Order: sequence, then structure tokens, then C-alpha cells
Amino acid sequence: MASPFSLLNGSEDLGRGPIFWAGAAIVIALFLAVPLYLSDFAAYNVSYYLLNIPMALGLCLLWGYCGVLSFGQVAYFGIAGYAYGVIAGNLVGQSWGPALGSLGGLIAAAIVAAIFGYFVFFARVQMWILPILTLVLTLLLETFLGQTAGYQWRVGVVQLGGYNGMTGIPAFQIGAFVLSGYAFFYFAFCIALVCYVACRMLVNSRHGKVMLAIREDALRTEMLGYDIRVRQWLVFILAALLSALSGLLYVQWGNYITPSQVGLLSAALPVIWVAVGGREKLLAVVISTYALNWLNYRLASSGNQYALVIIGALLVIVMVFFPRGLVVTLADLAGRRSTLSKTSTARAHG
Amino acid sequence: MTEASILLIDGLKKRFGGVVAIDDVTLDVAAGDLRCIIGPNGAGKSTFFALLCGIHRLDDGRIVFKGKDITRMLPSRRVREGLGLTFQTNRVFGNLSVRQNLEIPLASIRSDTGAEGEDRYRMALERFGLDRDDETPAAKIPHHKRQWLEIAMVMAGNPDIMLLDEPTAGMAPEETGNTAAVLRDLNRAGLTILVVEHDMAFVRQIARRVTVLHQGRVFAEGTIDEVTARQDVRDIYLGRR
Amino acid sequence: MDVIGVVASVAYQFCTNAAFLLLCALGLIIILGMMNIINLAHGELMMMGAYAASASYSRGAPFWLASIIAFVVVGMFGAALEMTIVRRFYGRELGALVVTWGVSLVLSQGFLLLFGPFMPPIQIPEGNIALGQYSFSYYWLAMFVVAALLVVALWWLYNHTDIGLQARATMQNPAMARALGVDTRRIYMMTFTLGAGLAGLSGALLAPTTSIMPFMGQQFVASAFITVVVGGATNVVAGAVGSSLLLSLVKTPVGFFLGAFLGSVALLLAALIIIRLLPDGISAAIQRRLDLRNRIR
Repeated sequence: MASPFSLLNGSEDLGRGPIFWAGAAIVIALFLAVPLYLSDFAAYNVSYYLLNIPMALGLCLLWGYCGVLSFGQVAYFGIAGYAYGVIAGNLVGQSWGPALGSLGGLIAAAIVAAIFGYFVFFARVQMWILPILTLVLTLLLETFLGQTAGYQWRVGVVQLGGYNGMTGIPAFQIGAFVLSGYAFFYFAFCIALVCYVACRMLVNSRHGKVMLAIREDALRTEMLGYDIRVRQWLVFILAALLSALSGLLYVQWGNYITPSQVGLLSAALPVIWVAVGGREKLLAVVISTYALNWLNYRLASSGNQYALVIIGALLVIVMVFFPRGLVVTLADLAGRRSTLSKTSTARAHG
Repeated sequence: MTEASILLIDGLKKRFGGVVAIDDVTLDVAAGDLRCIIGPNGAGKSTFFALLCGIHRLDDGRIVFKGKDITRMLPSRRVREGLGLTFQTNRVFGNLSVRQNLEIPLASIRSDTGAEGEDRYRMALERFGLDRDDETPAAKIPHHKRQWLEIAMVMAGNPDIMLLDEPTAGMAPEETGNTAAVLRDLNRAGLTILVVEHDMAFVRQIARRVTVLHQGRVFAEGTIDEVTARQDVRDIYLGRR
Repeated sequence: MDVIGVVASVAYQFCTNAAFLLLCALGLIIILGMMNIINLAHGELMMMGAYAASASYSRGAPFWLASIIAFVVVGMFGAALEMTIVRRFYGRELGALVVTWGVSLVLSQGFLLLFGPFMPPIQIPEGNIALGQYSFSYYWLAMFVVAALLVVALWWLYNHTDIGLQARATMQNPAMARALGVDTRRIYMMTFTLGAGLAGLSGALLAPTTSIMPFMGQQFVASAFITVVVGGATNVVAGAVGSSLLLSLVKTPVGFFLGAFLGSVALLLAALIIIRLLPDGISAAIQRRLDLRNRIR
């Protein structure tokens, strides 16, 4: 087993070495010091950018590192959110309601992913089938949730709410302490950071290398003794759990959830974040998820109706001109320039 | 069936749509054997290997490996049981470095990995001139080195039997000679080897026994001299049958 | 007991479901079979067809003419799309999926901004045949006939014309086809244009059944994708027909007894089971049958 340090400092993600870690420390410090320069409301908005990061990380692992494209990650976001709403909503007053709800959300997402994944991975289907079927699943989920408007559509005392969705979802609460404002911001930040670090360690580990191998040449990997179907299936479940985590954070953030969270437009967003950042590097995806959510907020809050057209166009442009992703391409250029300058410096002193 | 049989192949049949690729192949491979499978193009040699590895499912027949029936076993499980395969068109991870390529195979897939397996792997690395810390992308190393890299990668899993599909394709005579020497030494160190080959010079350098496949069936068996002396074997190569 | 009526009604349901699936999926399957690309903007192309038809219809064109206009307009748009974007992604299937999804986003949002949330609806052509207590609308009967005619036309195109032969050669082995003088780039462009045109035509034909809005493609894509996944890419016409029939066999009883939504769920479940058993779709199984019958030895 490799040391934790080498797992963190490995080569399968962007950035390594002392300069990088110093920079990372500065960024983390900036986030921790947020109450000094951001209002409660602004921190609340930033939390939204952060809570989407786990879902994006899951898709990045699945698509960028394992070569499996899923268009329906938001389905698990929604399943977890609704499951939490149903469970915690029925246990209002019990202090362990939210905890049980969170557990329920994660388990529900994992089970659906496990069953769905079984049919797809163990059938050894062609590559394009999974994106299509995952998309169909999430669309069907949206249709189902959308027609749950009547009073008969309830679980216990919690109404599913049809297209208007579920409101009044209870937040985490310990005594008088409620997870909101700055508290929620720190909570979301910590979770996003922990998820990122864990994923980074995973891709630098032996399991990560096998994932890469599966992406590069699945048959060759199989003929080296690895059961590729099980591994892909497990990564699929992991990605679903990460999406579920984002979903749980979301219902904490807004205390509501609607079917549009699993609809077509929502489903496109994680794909866009990952493609624009660069699907092969986790850190690129973290940066692009944050940046694109920020962009979306700025556009939407200034009344710009073109937000989704711009983001869709951005996807097309990046896919055509920067297929490896904007952040990854920039990182490559920066890397090359520093190698060149190192070489010329060496020559000058040579 | 001899007691020292490591691989028993019985009555394999495989068709693809309207084409019969393998038509009742029966073979008995003894432990420590170094055997070449030869035959004209389209004889079914690569399909034969694919069936042994489980890449294709056979229509009929049985495969017994080290006393275990592996006919229905998943390819990855067969590899873990001790089967190793290199492909006809060289398959290494081109975008990954040599170091990464060598890191990916499980060094000890099987719990009964002896020092022998480790020794054989180290010998292969050394004799093929492969450096475990080489950061060059595999796609950029010379062709013959890539062939050797693939062999070494498979050796890292400590196989009991190696299936090599045209390992010297595209190699110059000197490199072919080195390959033959290394394979002979690996075989002497206990590795059973099955090679599909076209290059008769190479076959002569390594093989003790030769099996000739033609139209999906075993056409002839024997030592290389016995087999090449036969007129009917020459005929099938010249397309006269 | 009105046995004839019941039988006719079930057969009618079956045929209209199959026709619906076929119309949704045809353009998609043609492109998939040729270039191994799933065009995720397919729903939006259908929407554009419906828009073009609505625009012509509300200016006085008869329904059949509006449909043909839709075919042409969306076909031309498809050609433009192929030339600018899609052709860069041949051989990169996942990339093609993602980029066409981006295109679909731009199209649906763009149309919303350009034309507003609704277009004037097209009335279902009136009239039906009554058989006892059951009525069978002319419209759906016509749709079934049109779907059947399209299948025949495509089969004739692929199997009895020069272009069709070149297309089939390109599908099986592009490099070899090029070596024999086939202009594969032209074939790809024509295929994409035809696929887009068919999507537009289907969108126009199905427009009377729904309200015409920027996101209307969504209701068709789930069905289209499932039909394509089950059909597979091996034999375009056989796959489309076989898949539509098979899935309609699933959808008709479920939809009849349990409603439209559960009918769609049944389709997804059927697709998951079918690909577990036949990973390359039923067209591969059909092709194997055909190959066995034509075998050399």
C-alpha cells in the first residue's frame, strides 16, 4: 500500500510538488476566511457552486478515468434528495431524522445504480448504449415525479408534489443549531474538499491505474486478470453515491427539490462542467464546476435569458476546439512553458 | 491424456455466422511443453487462442486447465488461474508510459506465486532490455520493444502457460533470435509455451513439437522435421488442398 | 361479444404504437447505422420539423405539403450541421454524443428565445372509421401507412440503388469502400442529411398529436433511443422494423392496462433485458440468421 503522501502527490491529477501545495493551502485559507469578506447571503450562493462538486467528481471518475459516459448522474442526485425529503419529513421532531434520511438517500441511489449497472455492464454492450439508457432513466424519473401532483401521491405525511416538487424539507438540526448560512457553507466546503481528496487518492492508487487501463484498452486489461465489468460497475455505484451526496447537500441548501432537478437541462450540466474543465483531470473538473456555476448565477441573476444557450454553445465550442477541456489545455501549456524555461535556463547556465 | 497434461482441449467447435472457424480441435499440452501452432492463413489459429482465453464462447467442446474445467470461465478468471496471452496485433497501453504499463499487471495475481514466477519475470525484463522506470510512452518505443513489453506485462502475472500469437511479427532476424532465446530459457525455467507463428525460421529455433491447423482442424502433429517433410502439409500451404 | 371489434382495436393499438416508435427512431437509426453516432439533437430536429410544418400550415399549406417542407428544411439544416460540426467526430462516438447534446441545448433554448413558448398547433386531420363501439382515426391509419411506405422506400434505396450499395459498403468497411472509389465523405453527408430530414418529417407528422413548443422533442427521444438501442446498428432497416414491432408488443398491453407512463417504463425494462440477452441489438440476431441462410459451406 502506498503512503498517503504519494497517493496525494501522484501524477494522475493536475498539480504536484511544493509550489502546487502552497497554492492549494492559500486557496483553502481563502475559503475558510470567507466570513471576513463575504456576507451570509453571498456565502450561501457560493455553497451552491461547491455542493455540485461531488457530482462532477463522480462523473469525472466514471467518464474521464474509466471511459464510461453517463448522461443520467442527476437521477441519483434527485433520488437521494427525494428520499431524504420523504424520510426526514416523516421524522420531523426526531433528532436522528436527518441522519437517517441522508443514509436512506445514499442507499437508495446505490441500489438503483447497482441494479441498473448490472444490466448494462454485465451485458458488455457497446459504448454508446450507456449514455443513452442513463439519459432515458433520468427522463423517465422526471416524468414520473412530474405527475405526482395529487394528494394521493404521498409517502407517510410527505407529499411528492408533482411539478412543484417537495418543499419544506427539514434541515440538519442539533438542538437549536441549524445548518444554514455560514455553517452550511463550511459544511459544504468540507464535504467537497474531502470528496476531492478521496478521489485524488483513488486515482493515484493501484485501483486508479486499473481504471485508466480499462479506459485505454478494456480487453487487454481483462487479459491481465482484472474483472473489468465488476470494476466498472463499482465505479458507477461510486459515481452515483457522489451524485447522491450533492443531492443531499442541495436539499439542505434549499430545503426543496423539484422534478426539474432530474430533467433534461439539469442532466446536461454535469456533462458540461466535466467536458469544459477536462474530463481526464479531477482538479480541472473542480475548477470548471465552480466557475460555470458562478457564471450561470451571474447570467441568471442579471436577467440574461441566454444563459443556457451560452452554456450549450460553450460545450460545443470546447468539444470542437479544446477536446481535452479548457483547464487541462491551459495546464498543459503552462507545463510546457515551464519545461521550456527550465531547459533554456539550464542551457544558459550550462 | 498424460498425467503431466497442463491443458486438455477436447472437441472445440466455433462458427461465426455462416463460417466454421474451428471444427473439432482436440489437443493435449503437457506441462513444460514448447509447442508451435502453424498452418496457412485462415486456418483458425487466432480464433483457437481466443477460445482458449474465453474471448469467444465456444459452440461445443471442453477445455481443462491444470485439472480444472475452464470451459465456462470468464477470461479474467482464466488469467488468474495462470493463463497468459499476447495478441496478434500488439496491445499495450500506448498512451501510458512503459513504467505504467509494467505497473498495471498484478505482480502476484495468484496466491501460489512462487519465487520461480518472480525470477522468470525478472529474466524477461532483463533479457528484453526493459526498464521498470522508463517514462517513455509505450506508443513511442520501437516496435520490437513493444512486442517484448507485451510479453513482459503478461509475465508479470506469473502465468503457468503463455499463449503467444505471432510474437515476432515485424521483427528483424536479430530480434527474432533474441525472442527465441528468451522463450527457450523461460521454457527451461518451467513455463509452458504455445506459440502461433508464421515464421518457419523462428519455429525451428524454438519448437519441439508442432501442430498444424487447417480449416479449423488439427491436420498434423509431430516434430518440425516430421511435419515439414510431409507432402500433404506442403500442399495445404500451397493451397492445393 | 364484439370479437372482431376487440381484435381490430388491439391490432390498431399495436400498429399505431409501432408506427409511432418507427417514426421517432428512423432518422436516428440511419445515422447510427452509418456513422456509429447517436445524434442527440434528434429531438430538436423533430421539433424543427414540427415548427416548419406549423409555420407552413398556418400559412395555408395542406398538411402533406407542410410535412414535405419540414423534411426539406430540416434536411438542409442537417447538412449544415454535418459539415460544420458532426464530421469532426467520426470515430469519436462519445465525443459525438456530447457535442450533439450541446447542439440540442442550443437549439431548444435558441428556439425558445426566437419563437417564444408556443407555435400555432396543427389540428389532427379529422375523420375516423367506426367499428361497433371502437373508432379508428384516419390520422393514425395514415401514419401507419406512411411508416410502412418509408420502410419500403428505405429498403429499396439501400438494396436496389447504386447509392444504397455504396452506403452499405461504407457501413461495413469504410476504408475498403474508399479504396474502391466510393466517396465516403459524400455518403456520410448524405446519410446525415437523410437522417435529419426524416427526423424533421417525423416531427411534422407527429405534430398534430401534441403542442408545438421548444421542448417537444423530449417526449419523442426516450422512445426513439430505446427503439434504437434494441434495434442495434447492424442492419438499419431490419433493426428499425424489428425493434418497433417488438417494443410495440411490450408497450401495447402495458399501456392499455396500466397507462402511458408505465408503458414507457415497460419499454425501458424491456430494453435492459433485451440488451442483456442480445448485446448488439436484434438487428445483429437478424443479420446472423440471414448470414446462416446465405452461408458458403
